Amino acid sequence: MRIVVAEDLYLLRDGMVRLIEAYGHEVVATAATGPETLRTLLEWKPDVAVVDVRMPPSHTDEGLRAAIAARAELPGLPVLILSQYVEQLYARELLADGSGGIGYFLKDSVFDADQFIDALERVAAGGTAMDPAVIARLLAGGPSNRRLEKLTEREHSVLGLMAEGLSNQVIAQRLFLSESAIGKYTTSLFGKLGIVDDGTNNRRVLAVLAYLNKD
Amino acid sequence: MRQLGTWSARVGVGFLRACAVVAVSMLIPAVWAAAVALGIRWGPGNPWSWLAPVVLVGVGTLALSRPVCRAVRHLVARWTGTVIPAGYREAPPVTRMSTGYWWNGFGYERTRRDALMDQKWRIRWNDPADRRDLRFTAVVPLTAGLVACLPPAGLAAAVLGLGTGRYGAPGRLAGALGLLVAVAVAPYAWRALPPVAVRFLRPSSAMALAERVEELTAQRADATIAQAAEIRRIERDLHDGAQARLVGLGLSLATAEKLMETDPERARALMREARAGATASLTELRELVRGINPPVLSDRGLVDALRALALDSPLDVTVDADLRHRPDPPVESALYFAVAELLSNAVKHAGATRVRITLARGDTNIVIEVLDDGRGGAHARDGGGGLAGLRRRLAAFDGTLEIISPAGGPTRATLEVPCASS
Repeated sequence: MRIVVAEDLYLLRDGMVRLIEAYGHEVVATAATGPETLRTLLEWKPDVAVVDVRMPPSHTDEGLRAAIAARAELPGLPVLILSQYVEQLYARELLADGSGGIGYFLKDSVFDADQFIDALERVAAGGTAMDPAVIARLLAGGPSNRRLEKLTEREHSVLGLMAEGLSNQVIAQRLFLSESAIGKYTTSLFGKLGIVDDGTNNRRVLAVLAYLNKD
Repeated sequence: MRQLGTWSARVGVGFLRACAVVAVSMLIPAVWAAAVALGIRWGPGNPWSWLAPVVLVGVGTLALSRPVCRAVRHLVARWTGTVIPAGYREAPPVTRMSTGYWWNGFGYERTRRDALMDQKWRIRWNDPADRRDLRFTAVVPLTAGLVACLPPAGLAAAVLGLGTGRYGAPGRLAGALGLLVAVAVAPYAWRALPPVAVRFLRPSSAMALAERVEELTAQRADATIAQAAEIRRIERDLHDGAQARLVGLGLSLATAEKLMETDPERARALMREARAGATASLTELRELVRGINPPVLSDRGLVDALRALALDSPLDVTVDADLRHRPDPPVESALYFAVAELLSNAVKHAGATRVRITLARGDTNIVIEVLDDGRGGAHARDGGGGLAGLRRRLAAFDGTLEIISPAGGPTRATLEVPCASS
């Protein structure tokens, strides 16, 4: 894949590039500031971009805004946001356009390189990849909490893993169950929550996230 | 008949009150009179005869002025319900500044003992309330005291003129007149005291200013103490948390490097351990930084930070915000942490399900209202600890926190911070 890495700290940028190249992907360009990120994304139109939230010049959420602006220009441009913090508010803004191809992870997620690269590939394919911390907060917070009371504990954990953007196959591996069992759980929980399941994984995940984000 | 009864009761009460006014207002003049009498008795023969009366007058006046004024305030409050604030200077807390010196409200001293001594004497000799009390004790005998003397003096004249009959016809006439005056004036004579007391015993503007200075001093001391404690906490957290973990991480990596050749399996286990350690120390640092300055607050400002707070809350929280400009970072931070505290109270103590946060900016202030549908009784629950801390933190910006929390709810907390609109 052709990948752009936007990160202001040299040490991290370099480490990220080396990690990505170790897995056989190509880093076509790097960026170190917000405006530069926006320019690079529009210019290279990468298969997927890894973008840091906090960048110069303002050291606020420059990276996030650059990514959202780039996706406004190029709808569905796959972006994986990496940050020292995950904020539900930012997750919502990223998911707002509903077109998928979005990932949002804590920086520590790169410690587990296999999973990180896997998430990167999922995002590049138009899927979503959300950090467990984001999903945990989504499931625990506010009004959605009461709507989820109808679910069994098992359905709850399936919903959480699905919201992270994982496929049934991976969820089955994580919970040590068969894929068909996961299929049964998803059908029953969709029935309880009134979410329409149209079969394709990406759209299904977006539906789940939209449901969880609903006030 | 009943009228006669009430009238005689008023005369009686008025007479007693007049006597009380005479007692308090004439106490210090009585000391002066005693001193003059003493001087006359010792006579002009002794060159030192003036010394004792002068000492008596000085010490008596100084020592008695405050009790006399206290008694007057007490009487006025009891008879008319008018409460006159005393305004005596209270000793501000002696606090240790971050420089190591002790601040006592007047100056810096090297030790706590020196600071306390210095403070005691300065308050004793520098209280503007003392000068005001002295002025009052000089004014009151010539005004309210004189008026209040009428009924007892009239009665005395009646007793001397009519009772003893020693002074013949003019004496009897004077006695009858005195009795008439005493009875007529008795219900009203004491009423001269409250206006004089209100006029001369109020805290002066200098005292109000001194009070404000005291308040600010206390706030500053609070702020420095809170800041020092915060820095200590951060230092300790870093030292015991992330720093210690990073040392462990380095150790694991060094060992793994050594074992690479001989025992690759153990080396790999150590690497995994190191990775877990790195994740844990990051999590710790994250929580620490969030407690110092939440990322959304520095990225986006107060409104979005409150929205993020609402999203993270387990309650159903709505945020209505109208804020065109960002306030200064310190104010933002204080408001943010105050709202965060109120929200966590709503979760922990009130058992609320819905919270509404309203944020509005006036021309000179920012007002935030936090309304929850919990069980109320916030003050009783809190015991004043957390809420008092909040008030102190807001006070540093002249901000206020008002909580209306009847038992059974709802609780309405209103935060207000003055803030010039830019």
